[in-house]
Amino acid sequence: MTNTISTAIIGAGFAGIGAAIRLKDQGITDFVIFERSTRVGGTWRDNTYPGAACDIPSRLYSYSFAPNPDWSHTYSGSAEILGYIDSMVESAGIAPHIRFEHTVTGLRYDEDAGEWTVLLQDREPVRARTVILASGPLANASLPDIPGIETYEGHKIHSARWDHDYDFTGKKVAVVGTGASGVQIVPELVKVAESVKVFQRTPGWVIPRVNTSTGGWLKRLYKELPLAEKVMRSAWFWGHESVALGVVWDSPFTKVVEAVSLANLRMQVKDSWLRRQLKPDFSAGCKRLLMTSDYYPALQADNCKLVTWPIARLSPKGIRTVEGIEHQFDAIVFATGFDVSKTGTPIPISGVDGRDLASEWSRGAYAYRSVAVSGYPNLYFTFGPNSGPGHSSALVYMEAQIDYIVGAIAKLFQFGWKSLDVRPEVQARYNEDIQRRLQSTTWNSGCQSWYLTEDGFNATMFPGFATQYVNQLRTLDLQDYKITEAVAQTIGEPVLTA
Amino acid sequence: MAMDLDEMLQKIKDRQWALVDIDWDAPGAELIEPELWAKLKPFMTDLMWIENVGARGFAALAKKAPTPTLKSIYEHFHAEEQKHANAELALMRRWGMLENDEIPPPSVNVQLVITWLDKFSDGMSLSILGTVIPMLEVALDGALIKFITDEVKDPVAQEVFKRINSDESRHLAVDFEVMDILGHADIRKLAVDFVGSWMNPVLLIGTLSYFPLLNKMRDNIVAMGVNEERLYQAMRRFQSVGERSAFARRVPMYRFISWHAKKVIDRSSKYHWLADSLVVVTGAIPMPLVRYTPSWSNELTYEPVA
Repeated sequence: MTNTISTAIIGAGFAGIGAAIRLKDQGITDFVIFERSTRVGGTWRDNTYPGAACDIPSRLYSYSFAPNPDWSHTYSGSAEILGYIDSMVESAGIAPHIRFEHTVTGLRYDEDAGEWTVLLQDREPVRARTVILASGPLANASLPDIPGIETYEGHKIHSARWDHDYDFTGKKVAVVGTGASGVQIVPELVKVAESVKVFQRTPGWVIPRVNTSTGGWLKRLYKELPLAEKVMRSAWFWGHESVALGVVWDSPFTKVVEAVSLANLRMQVKDSWLRRQLKPDFSAGCKRLLMTSDYYPALQADNCKLVTWPIARLSPKGIRTVEGIEHQFDAIVFATGFDVSKTGTPIPISGVDGRDLASEWSRGAYAYRSVAVSGYPNLYFTFGPNSGPGHSSALVYMEAQIDYIVGAIAKLFQFGWKSLDVRPEVQARYNEDIQRRLQSTTWNSGCQSWYLTEDGFNATMFPGFATQYVNQLRTLDLQDYKITEAVAQTIGEPVLTA
Repeated sequence: MAMDLDEMLQKIKDRQWALVDIDWDAPGAELIEPELWAKLKPFMTDLMWIENVGARGFAALAKKAPTPTLKSIYEHFHAEEQKHANAELALMRRWGMLENDEIPPPSVNVQLVITWLDKFSDGMSLSILGTVIPMLEVALDGALIKFITDEVKDPVAQEVFKRINSDESRHLAVDFEVMDILGHADIRKLAVDFVGSWMNPVLLIGTLSYFPLLNKMRDNIVAMGVNEERLYQAMRRFQSVGERSAFARRVPMYRFISWHAKKVIDRSSKYHWLADSLVVVTGAIPMPLVRYTPSWSNELTYEPVA
C-alpha cells in the first residue's frame, strides 16, 4: 500500500481529464487518474466507427476553460474530439498523473481514517482522501441479448469496439440498431459495402444537421479574439436551451420539434410505406433526437434496405426475421448502444458502516445534485444520477459538476476536514423534487428508452434547462453536508461559494 | 381468466419458424391431382394475398396497441402473416405454378382491399380494427387454410399448413382477448366510437370492398367443387367464440360483424343481392384501372434465404 493521495480519479475520459485540470488549477497536484485502457479519451477513444461524430456543435461540446479555436467543422468527428482531449492532457501536463492499465475493481471507505481504499485488479490497493468516479455512463458495451447470437459464424462488430482491420468493401452487411451510432454508421457503410440491411426496432425522431467547415479566417478570429468564440459558444448554448422547451418537457413545443422532423422525413423519403416505417410513435425527445441529414438518403440507396420485421434469432449465416426469411451476411454490425448503469454501480462501493451502494441503488440510482451520495463521504460522481441533458452539451453539465466537486475537495483540504457527507434528508428532498419534475418531461411520457429502468424509474436525466442544472451546482451549500473535522467534531457552516 | 399477454408474447417468440426449416424439394408434390392443380393457382393466389392483407391489418393494429406488449405481439403477427404469404408462394413454386420469378397479381377484389388498407387503415380506431381483423382471419384466412389442408395431400403442404394453423390459433386467441378488453370500456365511449367511425365514409368504402371479397371467395370455393358450408362454419365460429365473452358482446362493431356473419350464412337474405351485385360490379372493373402496388405489398418472396 502506497501513501495516501489527495484524490483518485477513475477514468481518463472527458470528465476525468477535466477534473484533473481543475484540481491542478486549485493547486491540488497530488492526484492520480486510474485508467483501465492504454489511452485517454473514454467514449471517444472507444467509438471510432466510420462516421462517428458528436451531434452537439463542437463550440459547445468542449470545456469553456479549454477553448479550441481550431475546430474544423461545426460538428466534429471522433478523431478530432480525441485530438482535443489529447491536447488538453498535454497543455495542462496531466500525463504524469495517469496510470494506464489500472482497472479499479472496488471502493471501500475507511470511516476512522476518512479515506477511501481504491482496489485495483492485480495490483496493490491505493488509499485516497477523496475519489472522483469519472467512469462515465457510456463506457461498457456488449452484444445484445438476441437468441442464437453465439451461433453466428460471420464477423460480429460492436459499434463501440470497431474492427478497423475488417474491410467492408464488397461485403453483405447488416446493421442492427438505428440509434445515434446506427444512423452515423449506415451512410458510411453504404458507400463501400455490396449491400446493407438495416434492422430497426424503433425509429427515432430525425432532425437535419447542417455541418459546415470552419473557414480559416474564422479560426483566426477565434484565436485572436477569444471573446468572439465565447459569443459563439453562448449563441449555441442559448439556441439549445430554447430547444429544451420542446425536448425536455412534453409541451406544445414538442409538436413543433415533431413537425420539423416530419417535414424533413417527407422531404427526404418519397415512399409512403418507408415513411410510415420511419415515423416514430412516441413524443420527440422521449428518446435521444437523431441529428443527421445523411441517414434517410443512405437508406434509400440501391444497395440499402430497411428491415423492420422483428428479429427471431441469429443463425450461423445471418439473421432470421419473423416474416420467415433468413437474411445472410458476411458481417453484422451491432449499433446497439451501451450497458448504461441505472441500477447498481459499475464497481462495488462500500461506504460508512460498510453500506453497499449497489444494494441502495438496486431499484434505481439517486444522488444529491447528481454528484454525491449520503453515506459515501468524499466520493463524487461525474455524470451521476439525473445529470443527463436531453437537449444540450454533456460537457456543459460536466464542467458544472467538475467545478462543484473540485470546490468541495478544495474546501475539505483548506479547512482540514476529515469528511463531507450529504445529509440524508437533504438528498431525499432533492430526489423527491427531481422525480416530481420528471413526471412532466418527454422521457417519462410513455416510451421505453435507456433513460428509464425496467420499472420506469428515471435515474438518468435532469428535468430542466442546462442553466438550472449549472446554477444548482454553482454554490456548495455546506449546510447540506455533515462535516466531520479531523478531530471527529461535526459542525455546521454558512453557505460558501465553491 | 384474462390472458397473460407477456406470456403469450414469449410463446410467440419461442414458436418461431422460418422457410429454411422446410425442405421445399421433398417428394410429395406429385400427389396433387391434375384437376385440383389447375384450380389451385387462383385459389392459392387469393389466399396468399389475403395473408398479405392480414399482415397490413396487423401493422395498423400495432400502431393502435395500448401497451408495448400488445404492440410487440401485433408486430409479430404482422410479420407472421407475411411469413404465411411467403410460404404459400413457396408452395406454388414447389407445385410448378410460377413462371420464373412470377408473383401472381391479386384479384380486383383483393386489390381494392389492398388499396383501402394502404390509404385508410392507419386512421381506423382500435375498436374497429380489433373486431374487423379477427373476422378477416376467421372467415377468410382460417376457412381457406382449413379447406386446403383437407384437400391437398402433399406432405410438405401439410407441414406448412400445420405451422400456419398453429400461428393462427395464437392470433385468434389474442384477437378475442382484445375484443374482451375492448368490451370493458364505458358503453358511452363504445357507442361514440362506433357512431364516429361510421360517420367517416372511409369505413363505408372499406365495407363495400369487403362484402364482395367475401362473396367472391365463396364463389371460388364453390367453383372448386367444395361445399360453401366450410366458409359458413368459420363464420359461425367467429360468433360462437365471441359469444363466450360477455364483454366482447358489448362492442358495437362486434355486434355489427356478427350480424353481418349471420346474413352471409343465410343464403336467402337480401344481403346477398347487394354483395353479389357488388361482385358483378367489381368483376367488371378493368384491373389497370385499380392497379396500385404499395411497397408493403411488393415484398413477397418464395426464397427462404435473402
